[in-house]
Amino acid sequence: MISLGSYLAISFALFISGIIVMIARKNIIAMLLGIELILNASALNFVAYTKFSNNNLDGHIMSLFIIVIAAAEAAVGLGIVIRFFQLRESIHIDDAATLQN
Amino acid sequence: MFTNTLFLLSAVLTLGGAAAVVYTKNLMHSCVYLLASLFGVAGLYACIGADFLAATQLVVYAGGVVILMLFAVMLTGGSGNNINRYGLEKITAMGNTKTFFMAGLTAVVTSLVILKILASVFKSHSATVLTANEATVDKLGTLLATDHILAFEISSVLLLGALVGAAVISRPRKEKHD
Repeated sequence: MISLGSYLAISFALFISGIIVMIARKNIIAMLLGIELILNASALNFVAYTKFSNNNLDGHIMSLFIIVIAAAEAAVGLGIVIRFFQLRESIHIDDAATLQN
Repeated sequence: MFTNTLFLLSAVLTLGGAAAVVYTKNLMHSCVYLLASLFGVAGLYACIGADFLAATQLVVYAGGVVILMLFAVMLTGGSGNNINRYGLEKITAMGNTKTFFMAGLTAVVTSLVILKILASVFKSHSATVLTANEATVDKLGTLLATDHILAFEISSVLLLGALVGAAVISRPRKEKHD
């Protein structure tokens, strides 16, 4: 039951749901949630290949750095969201169109 | 037996949480479902012997990122005005038919591409023998302090930069922007 294929399928489903969240949601915080799902899918792939392909721990190291980068990205992204809310009183993605025209 | 049960439970938690993040309309509930999904991923790590990663996942995500998200949701909720309560009323929560169509199309194309890869993996790795799990903490520590020391230091600088940047970006300005 625990095999490389099942891990890849789970990580694939996580990735797809992250993509759908990023596309279908119009809320900036919800889009950040989608990014977290996608980063988790990639980290899960690294760990699964470490276990089932070769047992050196480089995949674990890579997953650790992915977690670090996800934390930094969440902090900066939420800072930007809060600043945007202070300026526009909204967190709707279509209100962020200043550079568009 | 125990590992199989843990794996099934974690897989259901992960996939159910991710699907609920997509489906639910309330942003607050969506954050909590993301927490469930991240717990499931930590269980999946534990199933294949990545004990240190499972612990890190729990500490960083459940203790840090999701709490940060909930804080941001509450800070941008606004007090009293229902228009921007969760950013929901302006958007009918999940987008309209066009965005759903685009999301479905993208999902189909991506799944076709990736299933082509997944199918070959299912064929070639159908009968893998699980090796015994062993503790990875000491080896990970040795690797981080020897082979990957440069990336380790760079990531600490990155975290410092993100800390300062988030504080600078989100601090309240005195002057009024119109």
